Amino acid sequence: MEAKKWHREYLERYQRLKEAGLPFFPNTVFKDTLVAFVIFALLAYLAWTKGAVLEEPADPTDNTYNPRPEWYFLFLFQALKLFPGHLEAVAAVVLPGMIVLGFILVPFLDRGPRRHPLTRPLGLGLGVVGLGVYCFLTWKGYSSPLTNPIVEKDPVILAGRRLYRDLKCSYCHKVSGKGGTAGPELDKVAGEETEAWLISHFKNPQQMSPGSTMPVLNLLDDEITSLVAYMKSFGVGSYTPEAPKLFAENCSACHMINKQGGDSGPDLSLIGSARDKNFLKKYVEDPSQMNPSSAMPGFQGQLTDTQIDDIARYLATLGQ
Amino acid sequence: MEKETGQDALKVSRRSFLGWAAGLMGAAIAAILGGSGFGYFISPAFKKREEDWVNLGRVDQIRLGVPTKAEFTVRKRDAWMTTERRSSAWILTSNGKDFTVFDPKCTHLGCPYRWDEATKKFLCPCHAAVFDVDGSVVKGPPPRPLDRYPVKVSSGRILILPLNEQRKT
Amino acid sequence: MRAWTWINERTGAGKIWEALFARKIPEAKGWVAWLYTLGSASLFVFTIQAVTGALLAMNYVPSPDHAHDSIRFIESQVFLGSFIRGLHHWGATFMVVLVALHMLRVYFMAAYKYPREATWLVGVVLFLLVMGFSFTGYLLPWDQKAYWATMVGANIAGQAPALGSYLAKILKGGEDLGAATLARFYSLHVLVLPMTIAVAILAHLFLVVWHGISEPPLKESNKGD
Repeated sequence: MEAKKWHREYLERYQRLKEAGLPFFPNTVFKDTLVAFVIFALLAYLAWTKGAVLEEPADPTDNTYNPRPEWYFLFLFQALKLFPGHLEAVAAVVLPGMIVLGFILVPFLDRGPRRHPLTRPLGLGLGVVGLGVYCFLTWKGYSSPLTNPIVEKDPVILAGRRLYRDLKCSYCHKVSGKGGTAGPELDKVAGEETEAWLISHFKNPQQMSPGSTMPVLNLLDDEITSLVAYMKSFGVGSYTPEAPKLFAENCSACHMINKQGGDSGPDLSLIGSARDKNFLKKYVEDPSQMNPSSAMPGFQGQLTDTQIDDIARYLATLGQ
Repeated sequence: MEKETGQDALKVSRRSFLGWAAGLMGAAIAAILGGSGFGYFISPAFKKREEDWVNLGRVDQIRLGVPTKAEFTVRKRDAWMTTERRSSAWILTSNGKDFTVFDPKCTHLGCPYRWDEATKKFLCPCHAAVFDVDGSVVKGPPPRPLDRYPVKVSSGRILILPLNEQRKT
Repeated sequence: MRAWTWINERTGAGKIWEALFARKIPEAKGWVAWLYTLGSASLFVFTIQAVTGALLAMNYVPSPDHAHDSIRFIESQVFLGSFIRGLHHWGATFMVVLVALHMLRVYFMAAYKYPREATWLVGVVLFLLVMGFSFTGYLLPWDQKAYWATMVGANIAGQAPALGSYLAKILKGGEDLGAATLARFYSLHVLVLPMTIAVAILAHLFLVVWHGISEPPLKESNKGD
C-alpha cells in the first residue's frame, strides 16, 4: 500500500501546483506558437534553398550505387557492420526490438516517486550512455568511406538514355555493342555530329541522311534535347597514338597545346570544347572554306583522309 | 439501483439479450471484414512464383577465370504491369563447360556488389563485405557465401533460374 | 454577442475553450519552460506534413513507370512544387528530431511516472508510427536511394526469426520489390498510417489534458514522499 500512498500525495500536490499555475492560454500558447514560428522559418529556409534531392530512377541492376539510409538510421547501418555472419539477425531484428521493448517497459520498471534526473542515477546514466552510443554510431556511419566511387551523372543525359530505352531505339541501333544492326552503331558515330545536325536529324531523318529508314518520331523539343545530350555523351571516337605525332609534325610549328608549340596560330588546348570533330576535319582539310581570313594552309592532299580524321578526333577531345 | 421486481428481471434479461445480440452482430462484422481484410493484406506471403529459365547468352562468350556480369531482360508480370525487368548475374567458369552463376545481391542485406579487378574480390558497398571469386565470404557481415542460381547449359547457351528467395544454410 | 450565444449554445464552444485553453497548468520557470514546447512543435510539424502531403498527392502517381516522372514534374513544372516537396522532405527530418527530443525530455524528467504511464505508451506508439511514415515515404520517389533503402529495410524484416520471409513478402507485396510494393507503401503512407496516427494523437492529447502536463521535477520535494 506504500505505492498507493505516494500516488495519492502526488495527486494532491499536483492539484495545488495546478491551482497556483498559469492558464494555458496565452502563456503556453505563446511559447508554443513562437517555437512553431521559428521551426517554420527554418523549414521554409531549408525547403527553399536546399529543396529535396531526387536521384536517378530506381535501377535494380545498378551495382555502382552506394546505398545509405537516412541519417537517423545510420546508427543501425553502422551496427549491422559490427555483427558478423550468423549474428546478423541480432543487429537487424533483436537490437531494434530491444530498443522498442525498452521504451515500452520504462514506466513499469521505474515506478518510484523520484522524478528529478539527479535523484535517479541509473535512469540518467542509461539515458546518457544510450544517447552517446547512438551519436557515436551515427558519426561512425556518417564518416565511413563509400565503397563505390561516386559518379556524377548529368540528369539530361540520363533522361535521354531513358528515352532511348522507352523508344526501343536498340531494335535498330547498337550502343556499347548491344542492339540491332539496321541503323548505325550510335556510340561510334553520333557523338561526332554537331548538336544542330542531331536536332535536325531527330526531327526529320531523311532530310539529313537521304535514304535513311529511320522513322520520323514526332518528338517534343525537350525530348530531342535529352536524346542529343545522350548522343553527345558518347563523345568522339578515339584517336590513334599517331594523332599527337601527326600534330607535332604538321601543326605545332604554329599551334600550342598545353604550352607546347608555336604561337603564330591560336592556342588549341581547349579547342574541343568549342568545335566538334566534323568542323575540325573540314577546317584542317581547307581552312579557307570555313574562315576566309585564315593564314593556315589546307592539308587536303598533304595528309591522307584517315590522318586528317585522326587529327580531328584528337583535337575534338582537347578541353573536354 | 432499484430492487429487482419480476418485471425488472424481465427487462434485464431483455437488456442483456439486446447487449449480446449487438455484441454478436458486431463480432460477426469485425470477423468478416477484419478477416478478409487481413487475408487481403498478407496474401503476398503465400503467392507462388512462376519459374522461367532465362537465357544468359552463348557459352563461348564467357571469359575463363574472370567473373563476367551478364545483364539480361526478363519479360514478366509486376502486379498490373508487364515489365521488361532488367536484371543481372555474375557468371564464372574455369573451363567453359561448368558454370557458376551468382545472384548479384549481397547475402547480407541485398545490396549490389561489384567485381574489383585490382583485388580480385567482390566488394559490397553497403556494409563493406568482401567475397572471394568462388563466392565465399572473406570479410564482413554476410552470413553465407554468395547465392547461386540453378544453371544448365542447353545447345550452347547458358540458362539460369533467377530465384529470389533467401536460401539459408 | 448574440451570434456568440447562438454558437455557444449549439456547439458548447465555451466549455471546450475552458477545458482546453483556460485550464491552469503548473508553472515551469526559465529555460525548462521551453522544453515543454517540444510536443506541440511535433504536432505543428505533423500538420505541415499533412498539408504538404495532401498537395503532393495531387500530382503523384504511385506506379513504378510514373512515380519518378511525376516527382520530376512536381519539381520542375508545378508552381512552387519543389518548395512544397522541400517542406515535406525537411518536415520529415524535423519530425523525427522533434519527436526524439520530446521523448528525451519526458525520459529525463521521468514524466512517464504515475499517473501518466498510458500517455508514455501512446507516445511510444506515436514514435513507431513516425518511423513507419519515414520508412514508407522513403520509397515513394522511386529513385535509387528509395529503392535500395527499401530493399535493405525489407531484408531486415526478412531476418526476423521464423516468420521473416513471410514478413518480407507481406511488406513487399510479393517476391520482388516492384509495382505492388510501391502501391502498398503509398496506401500505408497516405491512408493507413495517417488514420492511425490521428487516433493516437487524439488519445495522446486527451491524456495530456486529462492528467494535466507534468510539473518540472524538483530535487528536494520528491524525496520524502
